[in-house]
Amino acid sequence: MLAYLTNLAVLISINAILAVTLNFVLGYAGIFSMAHAVFFGVGAYTAAVVAIKLGGGLLLATGAGMAVAALISLALALPALRVRGEYFVAASLGLQMLAITVFSEWKAFTGGIGGITNIPPARLFGFEFATPAQYLVLTLLCLAAVLAIVRLLVRGSFGRSLKAIRDNETAAATYGKNVAVVKTIAVAVSSSLAAVAGSLYAFYMSFVNVESFVLDTSVLLIAMVVIGGVATLTGPIVGTMLILLLPAALSYLPGLPSTEIGSIQQIVYGAAMVLLMIFRPGGVWSLRRGQGQTR
Amino acid sequence: MQIWKLAIAAACVLGTATAQAQDIRIGANLPMSGPNSEYGELFSNAAKLAIEHINADKLLSKKLELVIEDSQAQPQQGVVAMNKLVNVEKVPFVLSAFTAVSKAVAPVGDKAHVVTVNGGAIGPDLAELGDYFWNVIPLVNLEVQAMAPYLVKERGWKKIALVYVDDPAGEAIRKELDTHVPKNGGTMVAAIQVPRASQQFSGVAAKVREASPDLVYIASFGAQQAQIAKQLRDNGVTQQLASYSAYSAPTAAQLPESKGALYTTQVIDWSGDALSQRVAKDWKAKTGKEPSAYIANYYNAVLIFAKLAQALEKSGQPITGENLLKQRKTMASFDVVGGKLTFLPNGTVSVPLQVNETDGGAGKAVKANIVVAP
Amino acid sequence: MLLLQLLINGLQLGAIYALTAVGFALIFGSTRIFHVAHGAAFTIAAYLFWWSFSKLQWHWLPALLLASAAVIAFGVAMERWIYRPIQRHEGAFFTVFIAAFGMQIVVQNAVGTVFGRGFETVSVALSRAVPIATGLYVAPVALVAIGAALVCFVALAWFLTRTQVGTGLRALSDNPDLVRVFGLDPTRLSQVAFALGSALVVPGAALTAVTQGINPNIGAHIMLISLAATIVGGIGSLTGAACGGLLLGLAESLALWKLDAQWSEGVTFVILFVFIIFRPAGFLGRPLGTK
Repeated sequence: MLAYLTNLAVLISINAILAVTLNFVLGYAGIFSMAHAVFFGVGAYTAAVVAIKLGGGLLLATGAGMAVAALISLALALPALRVRGEYFVAASLGLQMLAITVFSEWKAFTGGIGGITNIPPARLFGFEFATPAQYLVLTLLCLAAVLAIVRLLVRGSFGRSLKAIRDNETAAATYGKNVAVVKTIAVAVSSSLAAVAGSLYAFYMSFVNVESFVLDTSVLLIAMVVIGGVATLTGPIVGTMLILLLPAALSYLPGLPSTEIGSIQQIVYGAAMVLLMIFRPGGVWSLRRGQGQTR
Repeated sequence: MQIWKLAIAAACVLGTATAQAQDIRIGANLPMSGPNSEYGELFSNAAKLAIEHINADKLLSKKLELVIEDSQAQPQQGVVAMNKLVNVEKVPFVLSAFTAVSKAVAPVGDKAHVVTVNGGAIGPDLAELGDYFWNVIPLVNLEVQAMAPYLVKERGWKKIALVYVDDPAGEAIRKELDTHVPKNGGTMVAAIQVPRASQQFSGVAAKVREASPDLVYIASFGAQQAQIAKQLRDNGVTQQLASYSAYSAPTAAQLPESKGALYTTQVIDWSGDALSQRVAKDWKAKTGKEPSAYIANYYNAVLIFAKLAQALEKSGQPITGENLLKQRKTMASFDVVGGKLTFLPNGTVSVPLQVNETDGGAGKAVKANIVVAP
Repeated sequence: MLLLQLLINGLQLGAIYALTAVGFALIFGSTRIFHVAHGAAFTIAAYLFWWSFSKLQWHWLPALLLASAAVIAFGVAMERWIYRPIQRHEGAFFTVFIAAFGMQIVVQNAVGTVFGRGFETVSVALSRAVPIATGLYVAPVALVAIGAALVCFVALAWFLTRTQVGTGLRALSDNPDLVRVFGLDPTRLSQVAFALGSALVVPGAALTAVTQGINPNIGAHIMLISLAATIVGGIGSLTGAACGGLLLGLAESLALWKLDAQWSEGVTFVILFVFIIFRPAGFLGRPLGTK
């Protein structure tokens, strides 16, 4: 029982990191990325390869993952600078689908569909994180760190520039905001922090393969952000918990075949997205504060 | 928020409070939904039949029960399911299927000292997944080693084109064919890879025609292998078809376009002894169909568990993964469906193989009792 | 010969893609709504066709009519109950997009639960290829696909240019208020756009069920291709969307000549990406200032 809850808590923390970092670009910068799972994957694969082939510990593996993710995020930043709205969504979708093809076919690096197995446990200064309880502590610390970084950026002048660009890009440019630099930095920060979640995931599962980084995952992350509440710090965490606790809650409903739980979870959050957009675009978090439509 | 979390935690505790200390539980990590659910149903029903017999014959001191988790035949899902079986359900023994899934879940079982048994997957790598991973089905290196000389030397089909799925199982088969076909004097004229989720093969058929083979070998599974066969025929490929044990699944073997296709399986003589006859009879009564080698394998996996557990109970030891492994090494041979099964030290088996030909029904053996040195 | 064979396969695939893309482009062009739930309409049409034709053994005509009725109802319902309320409040691109996407997820999973998550195909004599030259096999269904696409496009062109409603649709994308001045109702026109655009998925869906097979994820896949085709062809141009669909179908099929099948899927997205970076207006779209 405890093992089950600890496992759930670790997965929630990892996904919360992803949701918070996605919210950073989506909610605060208005960049509608459908490709967030790509950076999750890049972080995971890089960490796995560094750990297995180079014997690297947690810091080296995560650091490598962050660097590679930041580099690849340029592929997302480039269209972000050129187009907005529907076009950018299409470009990010294209990037996501291309990434799936690369993850599945670059067998030398990713192991293809078979994936990478037998990833050794994470090692930090000689200490090995071997039990789920230890992992929970590690992931919660990382989540706290990511939150702190995002909060710092959002509350400072960088955050103001982001919001200005989101609300009216031309006006922001007129006011002297260097739109290109701000957008590129935002995307790079979001992607490299997402890679941290990837590294944690790879060490925790001891196995990575392309299935964890497909379009459905990117959509799930968007749902977490949207349902929780965009452009708030705690909203994405609320969204993550709601969505991930849902299958556990559903499995206790009588008469529900266990093979359908995944589908029903998706139907519930899909419907939640639709209803929220009609009645409360600010997300669930805005409901609690009684703010109504906060955007 | 707080209240919701507490409620769920309370519900969880209540749920598991219905203690199952009365039963002995083993797990199954099989595709119960998705495109490969046909196999999951087949394998789990075979396991359930074994459990029925074991409970009826009172082989164990308590009732034996099966806990099934859905792998959807995908490695990631399989790992999640395996974690659940190992960490939450705490079973000492798990049935597994599909090469890619088995390779992914084996480390989990290995770390937790839980025995994982495969009765359907065939990738040769499955021989190297550690002491806790056992195979009761001959792996495909044996199948190809048996098939290659038959196709090339005995039947004279020298030029072979391969259509294989982009997956560890498909790749393993390609590797084996690349080794054994030339060894027997044949040539691989084409090796065309298809994505796992693909259903459209007219382009593939065009490439096959271009290569002018004498025979086309299909290395896929599930609904896809039947589609490949059908679309090859629909698009003008008239050459002989061949495949491996996965082709015994009804959707492929009974496809009209498959008529005359050849495929290898292990030899199972259902009328050979009392046990086999009993299983064949009960299976036919339950499902109305003749049993295949897959049924025997998953039945045997559960039967072997029962025999090991029985021995452990007699010597007063608890039924854990470690003890099961030790017991297997002591006993080594088991009387199961199809005769005597002996484990090699690396946890695989070597049994006689046969070549079958599809005939719209259960298929007939055209060359039996091929023994391949492992 | 292989190249010619792949070319014909590409035309068949391109015809299907063109049909679906034009439906999406029609809706987006007239109403400016980023209707990503178009893929969901495709899934509904495909599954209803398969179920009524293969499982219930209906004749193909009532099967097609059933599918058409269902998607038209779906499209109109989306417009009335989801898009319109959102647009009344604020109608930001983001809100509409998320709502449409949410619907896509709901439909995809509902279809999977009801009809099963496996692959299904419709078996007809039309998919059996006949050799028309050495090494060249064409299945009658390819001709049906190309023919259906041509018929639909001619009919659509006539509708948009010769009827009052059609002209109103074209005017809607330019200036909704002016449309009102001329006595036409923009709401009514939006519904027509959704009905017509959604109905256009039916031939593509039926043909896909016959040629490629369907599974619940097919809607998302088709949606991506329609989106790519619309952008490559140029937003605002129906001819562009059709050409874009044809181009992508040809590219996907011809890529098989040199690449493995897995990479040929990636080709579509490389083309999309290149267009977005270098020519977002597409082939025939109105040049846009990047906002």
